[in-house]
Amino acid sequence: MFPRMGRAVAHLFAGVVVGPLAFAWAVATTLATAVLSFTYVGLPLFLVVTWVSRRVARFERLRAGWVLGVAVPNPYEPVAGHPWRRGRALTRDPATWRDLAWLGLSFPVGGLTGVVGLVVAVVDLGAVLAPVWLWAVPNPHLHPAAHWLFNTVPGRFAFSALGLAAAPLALRLVPALSRLQASVAARLLGPDPRRQVVELRATRLRVVDAQAAELRRIERDLHDGAQARIVAAGMTLALADRRLRAAGLADDPARADVLNARRQLDDALVELRRLVRGIYPPILADRGLAAAVAALAADAPFPVTARADDLGDLPPAVEAAAYFVVAEALANAVKHAGAAACEVEAARTADGGLAVTVRDDGRGGADPAGSGLDGLRRRVEALDGRMDVTSPPGGPTTVTAEFPCAS
Amino acid sequence: MRIVIAEDLLLLRDGLIRMLTDTGHTVVAAVDSGPDFERAVLEHGPDLSIVDVRLPPNFRDEGLKAALAVRAREPRAPILILSQYVERTYAAELLADGNGAIGYLLKDRVTALDDFLDALDRVAAGGTAMDAEVIRQLFARNTRDRGMNALTAREREVLALMAQGLSNSAICDALTLAPPSVEKHIGNILSKLDLPPSDNTNRRVRAVLAYLNQ
Repeated sequence: MFPRMGRAVAHLFAGVVVGPLAFAWAVATTLATAVLSFTYVGLPLFLVVTWVSRRVARFERLRAGWVLGVAVPNPYEPVAGHPWRRGRALTRDPATWRDLAWLGLSFPVGGLTGVVGLVVAVVDLGAVLAPVWLWAVPNPHLHPAAHWLFNTVPGRFAFSALGLAAAPLALRLVPALSRLQASVAARLLGPDPRRQVVELRATRLRVVDAQAAELRRIERDLHDGAQARIVAAGMTLALADRRLRAAGLADDPARADVLNARRQLDDALVELRRLVRGIYPPILADRGLAAAVAALAADAPFPVTARADDLGDLPPAVEAAAYFVVAEALANAVKHAGAAACEVEAARTADGGLAVTVRDDGRGGADPAGSGLDGLRRRVEALDGRMDVTSPPGGPTTVTAEFPCAS
Repeated sequence: MRIVIAEDLLLLRDGLIRMLTDTGHTVVAAVDSGPDFERAVLEHGPDLSIVDVRLPPNFRDEGLKAALAVRAREPRAPILILSQYVERTYAAELLADGNGAIGYLLKDRVTALDDFLDALDRVAAGGTAMDAEVIRQLFARNTRDRGMNALTAREREVLALMAQGLSNSAICDALTLAPPSVEKHIGNILSKLDLPPSDNTNRRVRAVLAYLNQ
């Protein structure tokens, strides 16, 4: 309680001192830079001013972080290179202008919160300590009405009681004002939350894309590595078998072992092939989404009309997610809906995204929270996409998924 | 037979070469990319060429494209496609010209050496060799189609083997049937699939094709 109060008072006090200085610095440097920006001095001046302003901002971040109990992170984009490029990068970095806004605001905000907070703190402390200082510094020239309160012992203690009664209010108000000032500083001097959201989303999409690319790489590696090695081992065994037969050992127990090993390798390949299809279907890796959707449609055990042309370049993650949406929807139409026909459509949306729709004529009643559909939804949502399943009892079922594709 | 091979993985290329030379064939060229394959086939005019679907530089379906390019220039050049996986779409593209002399097999079929050599002979002789997996995909899809429903269980078995490219006598052996009954089944199948007996050599290819394109 008391350390917090002390910290708040110190913070508010520093704010009252820093505020006018920062304001004066901001006004003077902005004017000077604006006036001199048409001369050779403009750029170096701007760089120096920004350098100093950033040091001030750093101090303010520390001050705000000290009160808030969490460090306020540095929002700046890294700058490097030639002074010209540094200057351009600095003017483009919104953090530069948000710093400037804080330097201007620190006077009114710091002043207001600082003065109110300090006055409340000093007055309350004064009231609590009234018996001491009124005793030490007697004041004979008082208005008669105040005489009892100031110059008699019960009056002085009543004063003190009044101060103590007000103390809880002061103990709340002063830190609140200090936090108010600090949070304004954190808002302006810390990273822009909207920008953070945008960056976070970009980072997530990069991660998801990298993951899809990685899956495709794994598919290739299995194709060229494990699968190829197993096939090669099978060939060697086939030759060995042929030699055994040629040597008249067709009934030798060794030949049974060779044949057995070959069967085991075949099983391993079948298993591996199924695994690969689940990771990243080879046709998708080979030919892209439109062809993969056409292949899915062709493989379905009922007539499927597929419309998917000119999809252009799609991020691998979107391609894979869209593929699995279509595959799962078709599988559900066969397994659960008892559908007799299906329509699949994949097309680019007006804003460059991708929309896939699978419509069947089955009996409906699909549970959108079922594990298959729910897993797909999460996969779609990880790409900032949206998946809808409408499946009233009696049908029909429509599964739609939309993906944004920032390129 | 004089054979051209296109396979980018050394391990498999060497394995294939060993296997083919061991069984009395001659590998006249072994290359590792689509363009080299086209050049080698046009230069050597082999009795058969074997090509992997995925080849450099992009490792997508360059082998298939090279095979189709070769066929565009030499319509009857016998080509056997080997792949780690089979895709019905690819089979349909290969058979589209209706000329036969095409095979499309999973790489692991190579290890059933006698069947593999048999497939090589069939393709070189102008027939087809479709992987049982492609046929399985085909039948899984077509179980609800009208034409399929008209077929008896036995006729379906015969059609599956016929679609793989087996000859009548091979079908006889596989199903232990007498030659006349196999012929009767095939006649029934072709009439039920509405394939009139015109060009006798390619009716089998066309039967498969009719299914692939349905």
